[in-house]
Amino acid sequence: MSAPTTNIPVAIPAGGSSRAPGSQPGATGQGGQGARTIAGSIPGARGIAGRLLHGTPGRMRLFGLLGVIAAVLLGAVSANALLASQAAVERAANNTAQVVRAQSIHVDLLRADAVATNAFLVGGLESPDSRARYEGAMARVASGIAKAAAAQPADGNALGVLSERVQTYAALVEQARSNNRLGLPVGAQYLTQASAGLRSDAIPIVEQVVKANEERSQKEFDRSNSSLQLLVGVVSLAGLVAIAVWLARRTHRYLNVSLTSAIGLLLVALFVTATTITGIGRATRDVAQGDFQSAVTLANVTTAANDARANESLTLIKRGSGAANETSWKTDRTTVETDLGRLSDTTLDPLWSDYVASHEKVRSLDNGGRWDEAVKLSTSTATGGAAKTFGDFDVAVTRARDDAGKTTVSSLNGLGGSAPLIAVAVALAALAASWLITRGIGQRIEEYR
Amino acid sequence: MSASTTALRRRLSTLVAVVGLGALAGCSGVTYADTQLPTTAAPKPASNAPAVTAPTCDNATQSYAPLPSLPSRDQISDAPMRKIIDKGYLTVGVSADTYLFGARNAFTGGIEGFDIDMARAVAKAIFGDANKVQLRVITANDRIPLLKDGEVDMVARNMSMTCGRWNDIAFSAEYYRSGQKVLISKSLVSDDKNAASWGLADLKGKRVCAPTGTTSLTKLQQVPGPVVVTAGTHTGCLVLLQQGKADAITGDDTVLAGLAAQDPNTVITSAKAITVEPYGLGLNKADTYLARYVNRVIADLEADGQWKAIYNRWLAGPLGPAPAPPTPVYGR
Repeated sequence: MSAPTTNIPVAIPAGGSSRAPGSQPGATGQGGQGARTIAGSIPGARGIAGRLLHGTPGRMRLFGLLGVIAAVLLGAVSANALLASQAAVERAANNTAQVVRAQSIHVDLLRADAVATNAFLVGGLESPDSRARYEGAMARVASGIAKAAAAQPADGNALGVLSERVQTYAALVEQARSNNRLGLPVGAQYLTQASAGLRSDAIPIVEQVVKANEERSQKEFDRSNSSLQLLVGVVSLAGLVAIAVWLARRTHRYLNVSLTSAIGLLLVALFVTATTITGIGRATRDVAQGDFQSAVTLANVTTAANDARANESLTLIKRGSGAANETSWKTDRTTVETDLGRLSDTTLDPLWSDYVASHEKVRSLDNGGRWDEAVKLSTSTATGGAAKTFGDFDVAVTRARDDAGKTTVSSLNGLGGSAPLIAVAVALAALAASWLITRGIGQRIEEYR
Repeated sequence: MSASTTALRRRLSTLVAVVGLGALAGCSGVTYADTQLPTTAAPKPASNAPAVTAPTCDNATQSYAPLPSLPSRDQISDAPMRKIIDKGYLTVGVSADTYLFGARNAFTGGIEGFDIDMARAVAKAIFGDANKVQLRVITANDRIPLLKDGEVDMVARNMSMTCGRWNDIAFSAEYYRSGQKVLISKSLVSDDKNAASWGLADLKGKRVCAPTGTTSLTKLQQVPGPVVVTAGTHTGCLVLLQQGKADAITGDDTVLAGLAAQDPNTVITSAKAITVEPYGLGLNKADTYLARYVNRVIADLEADGQWKAIYNRWLAGPLGPAPAPPTPVYGR
């Protein structure tokens, strides 16, 4: 049973003007009509409660108890808000890492397709280098899917379906390759089916995973500023001040050192909590709008660029019937250039322009009926060749994106690190304040006696 | 008394538990809804629309009279043909996956076959150089729209001359005669020994594939029994067959020979060809001068033995040595 904070025996107040309660301590009321009191339904307890809360000292005891509750509540809410902020930042970091992971899968799928289709242009004998790049990209996709599924169980179902579609894609590409090595035209058909299936069945799932995790990150970014909870603390503090004022009026003694220090202590605790939380919130918002945004933008650039490259190859493979792919190439180009314009990194622009220049040369050769030369230029790794200019851009943009992704995750992880310590300090301060409140009010009760 | 204290204690512990859980909820316990899969539109069923009854006539193979002799480039004043000459090359719609007729050679990257040689022969006649040709890979369904839009000057893509097509485009004289047959998966033969001699009508309930926009598909749709499956090209049909999504493919015997050569698990049935497919080079309906010019080229090829040479280069292997070239019909 919860023991009252002061001595249990209670004297009848000297003033005695206030009426004694109807029931005497010994007479145990049989439940009866006392349903209004807090312990009304418990015989005996009702008598004790009545005695404890009787008269001014009783009220002091009640307010003292309320004061302690307010202090503990303030401490609990503050500590909870701090821990919640820190946990939200941590989850934001995890979700952001998942966004980066899913985007890497997206890029690598399109990169694999760009390499596979481009290798097809040069005939059955693909170069060991391009084969290695295809296999590298597909290996990263496979391990990326497994890692992403482990990191976010909510993505598990979608990633399972994705894994199945990626296997279908890889199988079709291998069938295309083996037929192509035998010189059978059916190989090209398998490749077309693989590329089309990748874009219609697999990529939308990756995009969905990216979107879901971006939304989760955003939600956590918003949650990281949980200062709304602190309103409870403000109300508790106001209650304590009200108790102090009441006590001062009742006892005509204006300064109660213990109670005032308790209020001061709690005020400091609340202030520190609020500053810490808004600080975390602001820093998180900065990361969300800064590094995270550029990581997302750079990933969009990388995927659009690789899609463009695959479309360039498909346009050539379709030999004059690839108008739809050239249209897709132009859409990709717009995406890349709009996104590059949003970034402060200017080193990427000239690299992209170089690739655009080689692509346009490829197109003009093909449109002029010089398909063979167009293919040669598109697959050329010599200076000015499309394979070379695209490779340079792809390497640079991928590095920039990896850096931005890593910075985002690490700076998020750095945030809110001190929050648990502060939470402990705030909780201890609240306990100390409770003790001070008990002491301060106990003092007055003693004096009253 | 003890009963009341336990009741109180129980209440208190409930209260503590509720408060405690409430506090914990702030710290952890965030669960996310499962990532939604993108909603995909259900695949459209293959169009089983009844075939439009083809217009009939008795002169599908009749083309324009050939020019008396090949004029030199400077002598040609016909506007559409001048445009081609000024462009510097002939744009020809071809197939890149019809083995032996128009297929991409995976080793050289070039497109080659019987149809391609016909196209190159026309380019050689006009420009004196067989390489002054832009090969544009098109599907069967693209042939008529691209000719009508003037996107290609000529189509050399195993195209059957039909009365219906004469309404939209023009043809050269017949340069090859084929017929529609059936290719089946050998798994059908192991189920039923007679399958090797089945025609279309025998393939009841079996999935038979034909490319969209072809006369083969029109014919297939007229035969009751088979379940119609379509693909963009004949090779697309072969992919469906290899993936177990089709049991048989119908098409011109030459095309089927190219498919059978790519997959030893298929066989062309011994049933007689159900149609006669005269191949002509497709041209724009207005380009009658070009048609007469091309007819002169074809007549010369047939006269000097080049036609036979081309035939033997591509088709002697699977179909035996060259027969006599089809007799051209003029007078349109």
